[in-house]
Amino acid sequence: MGLVGLLWRALAVFRVGALGYVTILVATRFPGYAHPALGWLVLAGMAVWTGFATWAYALPRRRRWPLLAADLAAAVGALAVSYWVVGPEDMRSGAATLPMAWVAAPVVAWAVYAGRRAGAVAALVVGGVDIAVRGGGGGMFSDAAVSYLNASVLLLLAGLIMGYVARLAVQAEQRLQRAAELEAATRERERLARGIHDSVLQVLALVQRRGAELGGEAARLGRLAGEQEATLRALVAGDGAIAEGAADPRTGDLLDLRAVLNRFAAPDVTISAPADPVSLPAPVATELAAAIGSALDNVRVHCGVDTPVWVLVEAEPEAVTVTVRDDGPGIPDGRLAEAAAAGRLGVAQSIQGRMRDLGGAATVVSAPGQGTEVELRLPLPA
Amino acid sequence: MTDPVPVKVMVVDDHPMWRDGVARDLAEAGYDVVAALGEGGQAVRVAAAVAPAVVVLDLQLPDRSGVEVIRGLAGTAPQAQVLVLSASGEHRDVLEAVMAGATGYLVKSAGRAEFLDAVARTAHGEAVFTAGLAGLVLGEYRRLASGPATGEGAGAPQLTDRETEVLRLVAKGLSYKQIAQRLVVSHRTVQNHVQNTLGKLQLHNRVELTRYAIEQGLDG
Repeated sequence: MGLVGLLWRALAVFRVGALGYVTILVATRFPGYAHPALGWLVLAGMAVWTGFATWAYALPRRRRWPLLAADLAAAVGALAVSYWVVGPEDMRSGAATLPMAWVAAPVVAWAVYAGRRAGAVAALVVGGVDIAVRGGGGGMFSDAAVSYLNASVLLLLAGLIMGYVARLAVQAEQRLQRAAELEAATRERERLARGIHDSVLQVLALVQRRGAELGGEAARLGRLAGEQEATLRALVAGDGAIAEGAADPRTGDLLDLRAVLNRFAAPDVTISAPADPVSLPAPVATELAAAIGSALDNVRVHCGVDTPVWVLVEAEPEAVTVTVRDDGPGIPDGRLAEAAAAGRLGVAQSIQGRMRDLGGAATVVSAPGQGTEVELRLPLPA
Repeated sequence: MTDPVPVKVMVVDDHPMWRDGVARDLAEAGYDVVAALGEGGQAVRVAAAVAPAVVVLDLQLPDRSGVEVIRGLAGTAPQAQVLVLSASGEHRDVLEAVMAGATGYLVKSAGRAEFLDAVARTAHGEAVFTAGLAGLVLGEYRRLASGPATGEGAGAPQLTDRETEVLRLVAKGLSYKQIAQRLVVSHRTVQNHVQNTLGKLQLHNRVELTRYAIEQGLDG
């Protein structure tokens, strides 16, 4: 049973309790009533309705507007009949109505079913009828008026608060369910990852290794196996969502940059990173990954597809630095400045643009014979 | 191999195809494969009898963690150098293994020549640093440095500027030769720097373990 189900059950208990309370009070006041016999009849009706409502509200599919309307009507009816049972004079001077606290039940039902606004509406209906049966007796600020208005205000508060609590309960339940689903998914992924790790990845790595030794067609197959191994490994490693501690209200979800970079994994791309997660706000991690992707594309365009590339992720308290280095021929001295002067930096410029937008910087260093390094540095807020 | 006495190697991997493939490669290259096993506990016991010079160890074993096996080997075969050969993407596992005393790490997808070179270097007592391992070690030093001033942070090992520089270059995939060229030092100097970074971390790890044992009252 969910949290909301518990609220309904509590309401049923309240209804029965309120009926008992009313029965005891009516029994003690019985001699003073204008129409005692009618009073017992109303009480019997209330008992029957309490039984019916407890049964009806027990099942979620029976909780619909007709039932809620009937519930409110029953309370209002019992309240209205008080006018004749207790007597107009006593009612005007602030005597208790016949159903007393029992009228709070439909207010709570409305609030739990449809929220605090519905709760307030039900409370106002009940309160209005209460004032009407008293005939607005005793003047606006007489002691009698204050006491029965007080009850209506409390009823209104109950409607609002119960509505609020019910909504919180629904939200809490949804959140709990989401967390449970996430946990189940994570556990399932870990189970799969272990299985894949022990079997498929090992075989793919073996095929890659043997293929490379045999050469020719086998080498091509080995290379394909290597690519699949890298892809599969990235897949089972997940998308980098950091489940615990992810709820930073200012930054939203945090991502582990290392896991985000998994998608660039390939046989000729080596990614080096610290052993612990490199947490960044999701939009920053995504944008940084896009800049790294551009740098890798740049290598493919200028150095060819088989050029080995190394990606180094460094996390320091004040900055995250990612270096993309290729083992290509390097850029001759002055070539970069020349291209920049001619306005032809292309991909490099898009990398720099992205880094500037993030508040970081990109620098390109090239040494002849030692490839080209693109260093992306992103300062972190203290 | 030109050594008159072949170097004794033990292979520990629970995947039979891998174990046999690695053992065959090693035998073809002239090594004496003294044992090829699939379980960590067994490996630790057998090592005492066969006294391997090099242990090629997969971190994913069914019965023990890689760290437990490395610690166990330190007891039964203290002369053995451990080369971790892993398909693992688990960065923590690799770092823990290296801090526990493994002197090298290679991914399983590395080629045959690269693998044999790594075994040869391990046999000579050299650290085998891939770019990936350098990234992990660099990250670990930074983590220790940013830790609290008391407790773990106090007495934590630190890298010299030169060591940091060398480690970063290794992590970016430069060969020792390229690094030596760039920094205008000898190949041997680069190697010493790399070895030192690992040595300091392993020493720190042992000190931490001892301190932990004393704190927990395991010393007496």
